[in-house]
Formats: sequence, structure tokens, C-alpha cells
Amino acid sequence: MKIPLKWLNKYVKLPSKTSVLTEALTLAGHMLDKTEKVNGDDVVDLELRGNRADCYCLIGIAREVSALFDTPVKLPESYKSLLKKSNLKEVSLQINSSFVNRAMMVVIKNVQIKQSPDWLKKPIQAYGIDSINNIVDLTNFVMFETGQPMHAFDLDKIGNHLEIRKAVENEKVTTFLGKTVTLNKEDLVWANKREVLSIAGSIGEKYHSISESTKNVLLEAASYDRANIRRTIYRHNLLTDAGLRHEKELDPNIVEKGVYRFLYLVDKNNWGQIDPHVFDYYPKPVKPWTVNLNYDYLETLGGLKLDTNKVKNILNRLSFKIKKESNNGLEVICPTFRTDVTLEEDLIEEILRIEGYDNIPTRTLSLEIPSYVTPEYISQEQELKLAATEVGLDEIITSSFVNEKYQEFNKNMEHPNASPVKIVNRPSQDTEILRTTLLANLLEVTQKVINERGTAAQFFEIGKIYFKQKTHYEEKRKLGLISWSKDSEVFAKFKGLLESLLTKTNIENLTFDNQQINNPKLINTYSISLEKTIFGLGGEFGNIFYCEIDLDLLLGKAQNPTAQLWPNFPPQIEDITLSVRTNTKVGDVLSLIKNTKYVADVQLIDTYEGYYTFRIWYQHPSKTLTDKEVEKSRKSLLHLIKQRFRAIIKE
Amino acid sequence: MREEIINIKNLAIGRITDVTDTHELESIRIEYLGRKGKINELLKSIEKVPIEERKEIGRLINETKQTIKIVIENKLANSKPKTKTSFDPTIPGIKPKLGHLHPTTIVINEMFEIFKHLGFSIMEGPEIETDQYNFEKLNLPKDHPARSLQDVLYIEEPEVLLRSHTSSVESRALENLKPPFRIAVAGKSFRYEKVNASNNVMFYQFQGVALQKGISMADLKGTLYYFVKSFFGKHRKIRFRCKYYPEVEPGGGLDVDCPFCKQLGCAVCKGRGWLEILGCGMIHPNILKNFGHSPKKITGFAFGMGLDRIVMDKFKIKDIRSLYNGDIKY
Repeated sequence: MKIPLKWLNKYVKLPSKTSVLTEALTLAGHMLDKTEKVNGDDVVDLELRGNRADCYCLIGIAREVSALFDTPVKLPESYKSLLKKSNLKEVSLQINSSFVNRAMMVVIKNVQIKQSPDWLKKPIQAYGIDSINNIVDLTNFVMFETGQPMHAFDLDKIGNHLEIRKAVENEKVTTFLGKTVTLNKEDLVWANKREVLSIAGSIGEKYHSISESTKNVLLEAASYDRANIRRTIYRHNLLTDAGLRHEKELDPNIVEKGVYRFLYLVDKNNWGQIDPHVFDYYPKPVKPWTVNLNYDYLETLGGLKLDTNKVKNILNRLSFKIKKESNNGLEVICPTFRTDVTLEEDLIEEILRIEGYDNIPTRTLSLEIPSYVTPEYISQEQELKLAATEVGLDEIITSSFVNEKYQEFNKNMEHPNASPVKIVNRPSQDTEILRTTLLANLLEVTQKVINERGTAAQFFEIGKIYFKQKTHYEEKRKLGLISWSKDSEVFAKFKGLLESLLTKTNIENLTFDNQQINNPKLINTYSISLEKTIFGLGGEFGNIFYCEIDLDLLLGKAQNPTAQLWPNFPPQIEDITLSVRTNTKVGDVLSLIKNTKYVADVQLIDTYEGYYTFRIWYQHPSKTLTDKEVEKSRKSLLHLIKQRFRAIIKE
Repeated sequence: MREEIINIKNLAIGRITDVTDTHELESIRIEYLGRKGKINELLKSIEKVPIEERKEIGRLINETKQTIKIVIENKLANSKPKTKTSFDPTIPGIKPKLGHLHPTTIVINEMFEIFKHLGFSIMEGPEIETDQYNFEKLNLPKDHPARSLQDVLYIEEPEVLLRSHTSSVESRALENLKPPFRIAVAGKSFRYEKVNASNNVMFYQFQGVALQKGISMADLKGTLYYFVKSFFGKHRKIRFRCKYYPEVEPGGGLDVDCPFCKQLGCAVCKGRGWLEILGCGMIHPNILKNFGHSPKKITGFAFGMGLDRIVMDKFKIKDIRSLYNGDIKY
């Protein structure tokens, strides 16, 4: 909220340097947003918090300054003649809603409508409000001064019977600013028998407002259920200066403060004759309440010990009153404008912020260290990310949404029946549908590389995917791996990358099998499993290789790493080259060789025109193998290969 | 014979000592130790030695062989290989492909590391949340004014939504963990935003929650100062001020001095000289009660900060969108 300093100075003495003032206000909870000059005067704009309804006015800020600098507040003068509470003879008000906490009305007769004098016109210009006439401007002036919004009607136009009621669905009203609003049945309105006069708490209708021809005025000020006003304001986008205040927890007791201040200024300037009757609907008057303060709790929460006299002094400066006092603490009476203070903790914050957060000591968690409860999968995820960079992959983080263009790739690979999750209030088409796979976005990034950026792309992403199954929502942690190279990439290289990466996190012995998957765009699709559980799926799209690993399933598959030493006894190494029956899987040949006696390791080292060359290590951990032993093993494996795969051995 | 052997040995050692060229050294090695070398010739001629002396002479020859071998090896080890005159150290290196972590991950890891020192564990929670965990249990009832600052993306209005802050994980922690605990959370959050260079629908937050008997504002302040000094640098200025958040009471905000203008005021700090880093405070008693704790028996603190701005400042990235659309060039 903007605070013209010259205006504020009327209610409280200000420090001579503006920065001293704004720094103190900032530290106490009202952060300086910016300083500007309006009509040559300094205006500070404070970022107020939503719980301090009382601060959205000059008196409120003056009270804060008073507490911070321990200097008195000078409240503005108010209309002195007491008005008689009664129904008004000119107009009645029926209230048909429990959302009205208080409503006051006063009639002012023979009003002189004129241009506002400078003392009225200039201050409200700081708020960007154009001057209309003295009466309308005065409602704004008093609102900025006291925090109480109010509205003036042309008494001769509104009829004799008013009511505050819920609007009829689709009832229309054109506001003072010319905007036509189609009301909802939850909106609260002021109306007469024929039509809506104003939307409660936010804005009035034009015809019934004050014009140059107005002779008699009905001034109203009210207090409503905050939440209802708030819903209306946001439903119809009516965040007016009045609305801004009514959506917060305003004190109903300031209704009369605002009204009497308004009347004082009308009277003082001879702008009209104030009728001696006031209508005041106030079924449940709010009285000051008490909150207990325990000194020990103040110390526990605040982390500092304060002298009890200091505590009392601070509370007094903030307009709190001490009702009772004991060795342990205080019983504190809260002024009704402090609607934000209802708990002991609220009171403690009040004391701390006036004492100054600067005075709170800094302790680096001097207490016992609690147990370490990081779940294993989080450490695993961190290890995987590091391992991925070690094998040369770059990490990408993409949006959780898939844009329109890439929706055709947004298919959950595991669950054909899973539907994507949609946002009902989407900000744009590209932020409507959540990803059901990491493929779509990683593909988009990769295609950017292909189209304009480079000759190779090797990326990974670890993140959530989302889908809906029947009625419940699921989110799963996935690792997506994508690879493309201008010099035609081969599957074996991609597979090796994944294997190395998982080996780094102690996951070994993966099995790859052909597998149909739920994505029409991918070819050469396969599954990746460990101990017979499928935990990943992959495929190819236009020389781009992709696979997606389910991290929740992978969790716990990691072996404890064990150190391996070079064997003490030398191996015998030989290469054998053979061709096998078509459709034979190399993996099967490898696993047959591997399971032969004395074979410590086997590698495919070459493939050429249908022939595979395997390098075999025969080795024993505790002795040197004899030629005889190796020969026996060799014979048996060649025999099995011939028999099972119709292999032809190349001599 | 014995003298002959000793002569050969001495001569060989002398020649090896004097030699300067590795090629020459190699030819000396062949002359003495080669298949047809002097040592082998000596061994062949051992037949001529009387039987009773053979053993002694054999030992002497072997010893000579070993000595020459060792002297050559030492010479080789000490001799400096000749530099090729055409050697060009300016030739570009052939670099192995290195992988890189995303800037956001780097920052998160760094922060986790700092908080681990302070006894924090890491925790995660769902991104698809309910109104209960995202708002209701966190002292943000429906129609609370603070809710307008967090326009939510709904999946099913009004109950199922994308979490608008990582405080939802605070709800999960308070529900599932037994105190005392200290946890740190980093993750995606989502809000209804008009996307531009500084606002995105998806953004990252970092959150911390500690619940332990005896925890006070002083512990909160100490923790945050330790973090800021560790992460932003020990010479950074810190401003700790009162600030309202419905989730905490008392509440606070923490700013650091603007490094871009040395606090003179610039576009980055909006002329304030300070950058807002995080919001924090003591966990609101209503929240503690919501999860079955008595505020008089146990206290806790919580803090939260937006990560993207910090990542962008650290890596000199101007547009938040480029963090998450694959535009980062590694």
C-alpha cells in the first residue's frame, strides 16, 4: 500500500530520514517495495501482508510507526454530536444474509456537490484515483485514512426500501466504472425493490451514485464475511480498493470510526446537514479479547530471554493492555482492530518484531542430531545421476507437461489403458496435459539438436511421469535415456551405455528381450529385466535410441559392491569363430559359453558376414589349468554349440 | 678365466657408463647379453674349465650377467629420451565425452550437502496432491487471502491439484515421521502463471522442516545463517525480518545483499538493494495440532525458497524457460 509521508506525518512523528523509517517498517513486517514522488511529495509503497487488515490505512501504519519509535499517535478528529441509533425514516434496510457483520447508514441532506479542494484531491491522487466530486472523494479519503470502505448513494434515486441479499443467478449490474457483471447466486448485493445498487464490499452501480445533481446522500459503511466477499471479488475480477480491504479480516468496530470521521469532515466543510439518526445493524458486537502470554514459552519459541518490563512496554506501545500479571506471564487484552492476534504465538511474534529480529541470537541447532532417515531411493537417484554423467550423458530437466506438437509420443509405455492427467484450468495448450513418459520431451530436445545444433545427442532425465488408472492418479519415478549420432548410432553402443551406467550403481546382469510396447512410433522394441522382473522398456525412432527405466522397481536391486582382484593363476585365452542358425540370439550363445566349466569370461569381439568371433578366458581361481583340462572344456562347449545352434565352426 | 670374466665386466661397466646414446646402449647390450653375446660365449667355454672350478666360475659368470643387466637398466632409467624436434604441444586435445549435471541439480546437491552437515535428511513427496496436504492441513483454509498468491493448477477442482509449493511435503513429514526430525526437500511445484522470462508454470522449490523439543527462532536463524554463509559466501550481508506466512508463527523472511549493484539499487533487486531469498518461521501451532502434536510440548521450524532464481543467478541464465526446455548447452 502507498503511504504519502506528508499525510502520514499528520498522525505520527516520523524520523527525519525516510530510510530509517522504511528500514524499521521493513524489518517489522511491512517491506518497502519502492519509493516514489507524487505531486512532489514522497510516497513509500509498502508490501503489506494479508493478515494485517488494520494496516491498509494511514492510521494503521501510524500505529506501527508509533510502536517502533515509541512516539504517540495523534488520531484524526471525529464527529462529536452523538447520533441516535434508530431506523431511518427516509429509507429502511432489510438484511437477509448471515454474511453481514455490521451495516451503518446515515442521511446527509442538502448536500453541496462540488469540486474537491486540494487537501482532499491531492492525497487520493497518490493512489491513482481521479477526483470526481467532494462526496465521492471523501469516501475514498476516509477509507485510506481509517481503513473502512464506504459508499454514498443518491438518496432520492434509491427508493425507500433497501436490502442486502444474495444475488439472483445471472442478475446483471453495470458498475460505476462501466463494467457489466453477471452475478452469481452467492454474490452479496445492496438492492432496492427493482434493481441492484452495488456489489457488497467492492463496487457501486452508476445511476444511484453521487452525481452533480445529487441533493441528499445516504452514506453506508459495512463489514461482511471476508471469505464471501473474497470469492465474489475473484469470481468477477473486482479487486477494487474497497474489495482489497473487505477480503481481509476487518474489525467491525472501525465501521463507526469511518462513518464519524466522514461526518466530521462534511460538517466542518459545511457540505451538508447531518441527520441526527443513524441506522446501525450490529447483531454481534466484537469486544476486546484476551490472550495469555507465558514468559517461558516466549523464551522457548523466540530463543531469547526478555526482561518482563520490556515485554510489557512493547505490548503497550502496540495498544495491547495488560489485564493481569503473574510471575509466569501476562493476561493481555487485544484491541479489536488487531484481528490477526488470537493466539499466544501471535503475541510472541508481536513482541519479537518490535524488539527486532536482529536481537534474536543465532544458534546452529545446538540440539541432539536426529536420526538420518533419507530413503534409499533418494541416494540411489543421486548416484544414478552421477553415474550417467560419468558415462558421458548430459542431464536434461524438461517440463512435466507435453506440448501439443509432441502429444503423439505421450503414451505410457507400460500401461496401454492408462490415460494422461489433464489440468482443468490450463494456463495454455502447452501446459494442459502431463507427461505419461519422458520420451516426448526428451525427443523434442534431441530433435532440436538434430535440426540445428550438433552431430550427437546423449541425454538423460530423471523425473516423475503421471497417469490415471481407473479412478486413481499415479506418479512414477523414471530414468529416460536418449541417444542419437550423425554417424549412424548402433543399438549395441546404446545398450553398452545403459549397462555401464547401471554397473556404476552396482546393478548387473540385465536381460534384454524383444517386447511389444504401447507406443506406435517406436520400432525394434525390447524389455530390460533383472531377475525376471521387467523394469525398463526401449525402442528406436528414426535412428534415435530411447529407453525408460522404472526407478521404483530398480530400487533395492543394487548389489553391495565387492572389490575384485586380478586372479593369481594365468588364463588360457582363445578366439573361436562360428556361424549359427538364423534367428539365433547371440545372448543365448554367450550364456551357453559362459556356463561351461572353467570359462571365466567370454566376449563377442567381432561379427563379420554371419560369423561371430568369441574370445574365451579359461581360468581357475586356485590353480593353473592344464592343456588337457582346457581341451576337455573346449570340446564340450563346441559340441553343445553345434547341437543347440547348428553352429559351423571356422577352423 | 676368472680374470677374463672380471675384465669383461669392468670393460662393460665402463662402456655403459660412458655411452650417451640409447641406440649405442642397445648394441652394447646385444654385444654382451645377446644370444651370441660375450656372456653366452663365456658360458659355452665353461666346459674348458676344470670340473672343481666350474661351479665357482659359473656363479661368477651369472653374477657378471646380472651386474651388466642392472647397470644397463639403471642407465636406461636415468637417461633422458631425446625430444623430437617436430613436437607440437599446441595441437588441439582429443577430449573424452564428459556428461554434465543440470544446473538445478548442481544447486540442489550443493544445498543438500550443506543441510546434511546440520543433521538434515532428504525427503520427497507426491507432485499430484490433495487440497488437504497442500493447503488445508497447513493452516490455509479455503478462501484464505494467502491462497490468491498461489493460483493452483487443478486436476479435479477443488480437491486434486498439482502441488503449489513443497510445503505439501512438510504435511507428509509431519504425518509420517516421528520427531525429532530434520528434513530437506527439493522439487517441482506448479502454479497458474502467465509464462515469461521470470515466471514459469513449473518451478523448483527447496524446503526445510525441523521438529524437535526445544527448537526456537534462534535455531532457525542459526541454521539459515549457516546455510547462507556456506552457499552464498561468508561475506554476504543478511537481513532477517518479520514476515507473515500462514504456515508459521512467528514468521520471517531472509534477504541477502544484491550482488549485482552492491546495494545501490538495480533492476534485479528492484532498487531495494536486497534480494529476497526465503520465507521461514516457527511451525504454526494449528499445523502442529493438525498432526497430533502439542505446541507447548514440541516446537519446530520450516523454511522454503524458490530455487530457479538462485540457479539463474549462479549460472548467469536470463530466462527461466531456458532451464527446462533443453536450451542449455553443455
